Amino acid sequence: MIELVLKRVATGVLIVFAATTFIFFLANGIGDPALATLGPNASAERLAEFRAQHGLDQPLVVQYGRYLGEAVQGDLGRSFRDQQPVATVIWNRLPRTVLLMGMALSLQYLFGLTIGILAALRRNTWFDTGFMGLAFLGISVPNFVSGPVFLLLFAFLLGWFPIGGYGVGFVDHLWHALLPALTMAIIGASTEARVMRSEMIDTLGADYVRTARAKGLHPVRVVLAHAARNALLPIVTLLGLHLPYLVAGAIITEHVYAWPGMGRLVIESITSLDVPVIMGVVVITAVSVQVGNGLADIAVGALDPRVRLAKS
Amino acid sequence: MPSIRRSESAAGLVGLGALGIATALIAMVLPPAPEAPRYVGAGHATPRRGGTFVFHHEGDVRGFDPHISFDELSNMGIKLMFEGLLDYDPETVELVPRLAEAVPVPTEGGRVYRFRLRAGLRFADHVVFCPSPRSAEAPCPGRALEAEDVRWSLEHMLAPETGSPGVTFFGLLEGFDAFRAGRASHVSGIRVLDPRTVEIRLQRPDQTFLFSMAMTFAYPVAREAYALYGDEVSRHPVGTGAFVLEEWEPGVQLDFVRNENYFIEGQPWVDRMVYVLNLDRRAAVMRFRNGEIDHIHRQTPADYRLLRGYAAWAPYRVEEPKVNIWGLGMNCELAPFDDRHMRRAVAFALNTERWNRARAGRLLLTGQPIPRSLPGFDPDLPGRHHFDLDIAREEMRLAGHPDGYPEPLTLTMSDGETARFYGELVQQDLREIGIEIEIRQVSFPIWLQQTGTRRTVLMALQGWNMDYPDASNFLDILFHSRSIHETDSENKAFYSNPEVDRLLDAARVEPDRQRRIGMYREASRIIVDDAPWGFAFSDRAMEMWQPYVRDYRPNPVWSNFFRDLWLDLPRRRAGPEDFAARAIPALAPFGGLR
Repeated sequence: MIELVLKRVATGVLIVFAATTFIFFLANGIGDPALATLGPNASAERLAEFRAQHGLDQPLVVQYGRYLGEAVQGDLGRSFRDQQPVATVIWNRLPRTVLLMGMALSLQYLFGLTIGILAALRRNTWFDTGFMGLAFLGISVPNFVSGPVFLLLFAFLLGWFPIGGYGVGFVDHLWHALLPALTMAIIGASTEARVMRSEMIDTLGADYVRTARAKGLHPVRVVLAHAARNALLPIVTLLGLHLPYLVAGAIITEHVYAWPGMGRLVIESITSLDVPVIMGVVVITAVSVQVGNGLADIAVGALDPRVRLAKS
Repeated sequence: MPSIRRSESAAGLVGLGALGIATALIAMVLPPAPEAPRYVGAGHATPRRGGTFVFHHEGDVRGFDPHISFDELSNMGIKLMFEGLLDYDPETVELVPRLAEAVPVPTEGGRVYRFRLRAGLRFADHVVFCPSPRSAEAPCPGRALEAEDVRWSLEHMLAPETGSPGVTFFGLLEGFDAFRAGRASHVSGIRVLDPRTVEIRLQRPDQTFLFSMAMTFAYPVAREAYALYGDEVSRHPVGTGAFVLEEWEPGVQLDFVRNENYFIEGQPWVDRMVYVLNLDRRAAVMRFRNGEIDHIHRQTPADYRLLRGYAAWAPYRVEEPKVNIWGLGMNCELAPFDDRHMRRAVAFALNTERWNRARAGRLLLTGQPIPRSLPGFDPDLPGRHHFDLDIAREEMRLAGHPDGYPEPLTLTMSDGETARFYGELVQQDLREIGIEIEIRQVSFPIWLQQTGTRRTVLMALQGWNMDYPDASNFLDILFHSRSIHETDSENKAFYSNPEVDRLLDAARVEPDRQRRIGMYREASRIIVDDAPWGFAFSDRAMEMWQPYVRDYRPNPVWSNFFRDLWLDLPRRRAGPEDFAARAIPALAPFGGLR
């Protein structure tokens, strides 16, 4: 078990390092941050002063070395655009993205698992075929299509939801988050419904379920406590795999719905070439995806002795 | 398990079918998109205080330092929080006093201007005015604005270390050169006579000087803010304007509230202004139509066509040409465009009527260097550029290329879809007279740098937006030989004509308005004849606002300038009777000139 954890941590660190290196050189290679920050009207002196102040006049490798040195000490630098510490800029936005992703994940599990279980119980009925067909579609339609379509349909034409934005006050935030969270949840819910269905079909046919039924247990208990619990294992693995998709989905969805979270921060900082913020978001996202994935792996290991044994 | 596999593929088909039926059903029961405003005002006839006005931009604000920031987004906020000595009358575009008591009349042959400040001017309350601002928790009362602030602000803007892009407009101040070179610690031409009077002396008379004083670069600022915040001052604006910044969430939203120290009693009308940032123009149009935001100023071509067709919106939208000029610049120092006939051939080969059709009729074809709303524009200017292949072919013959130009010529465009679009139109048009064009796209900063460098770029699509409402802002900057430099040239056609220079210099000091206008018109005629640019169009923008937004008219100088409007609240849900009574025709499609 310890070996498993250590292995997972080592790979995680390596992946975070690779991602930051790649993005650092990419972000610095696509344009001149001084010009992007100060605008085309800025005088040559101001540009030079800005570059000197932020060390942009030094070779990229030197800049990267300095960045790494400061980053491992927890200093992510200051934003070029608003001069605030990157940690503050991100901390302002992070809770909103966490809220959005939390809602998306909850909706995804609520719909995905319920539909998966019901479809397995009513195998080959209109319910099963219909919902599995919709799940096919759910997987195939990307966020950047479903987002604007939902906005137009449910917010603008039908007026059921606000047209993007964040709102004022916690309840209003939740209300504004609902439609974007639904948009983000569709792909995950579709995958989970399909996986849950096939897992349930397997476990429903298993001996211990038959035994439980034979003992005269209530059918709801048989399904939820015996069959569904065992069918959940692959869903835990899926959670780890879903994290990167959720992050990517958040970037697009936040942009479409003008949700002022980390995803929109990424787009804003890329268009204004605010390299410290771009880097900060990449580091934090990479670390959280690695941690989430690692926890899911370890959880599966802890839940399922077969995984633990096979890996050791 | 064959049954499952069969059911899986069947599931796909059934799902698709279900979705198709669902879409059709939804489409049938969907309410139609609203074609009229959702809300109308309460019907008050006179201005009232109160309410929140929500506006937006799809970009992000850099900052609000009037001496540095000079873009549409920043100006939208600067005009709410700062005031200048002078401003423009929105109807006549004449200069009117703001912080000054009157527009000064120049003395000593037009070289000396005395500005007298209004009594009782005060900065907005702010922590910078507290005895120990760093530890202050609440704002302290704003101090009085005095003549010394006007002097300090101008010198701060002119100081080389500030790096203000506005410096060029003040080059005629007495003592300018010595101050810029560091030989003097003050500008000798700016003197404080008493706490309410400042005197400005010029090296020679200049009819455009007062326009410079109405630009944001000359706005008085609070030196305490610069002392406290240094480089970050643009995030902490302190001015004498109608509003103060209450909250700024970067990239998301700005909230402005009423400045209680504002010098006009009872104003501004609106309690709060909310400036939504980074809002995509499609989402903005949807929110606007649902009554969630109060003003829009940019639309996609599809939304533009749609909104323009709705009759009920007609009283609440205006479509006006921006005060700018666009054209195809040709480098007069490089072959083949050192030949006037080649340039004229190109100018008359541009099928701008076709361009206008391709842009949904949003262009105003002017064919000359002075925009329509400025004195000096002449709708019947002899020789103004327009599409005429006969003239173009004749000019090609005079240039010695009756069968076309033997080599391809390079057109340098900045990046982006629109630039590419115009590049391709030029390419198609010039093929008609036997000129092959190769398009080269570079990023905007590179484009700026290369087109401003001598003997570098052969042709480029050029545009210029107004800084102040006077023909000199276009002709002096774009076509005077004084604007040619080795690098960072403003005269990007590198066009030089001593007769034009003489006319422009004479117009600059001419006190008689009609004679000045006549000189600009004559210069404009010569420039059109010489064709350093193929003069094409001014573009138009459509602005819309909610029916309960009152007394808002687009300002001819400042775009999206909301300071003086009022809100007719409470608003109520509109019914068909609100719009049925008057039959308002949709906007007629635009033709060419006029």
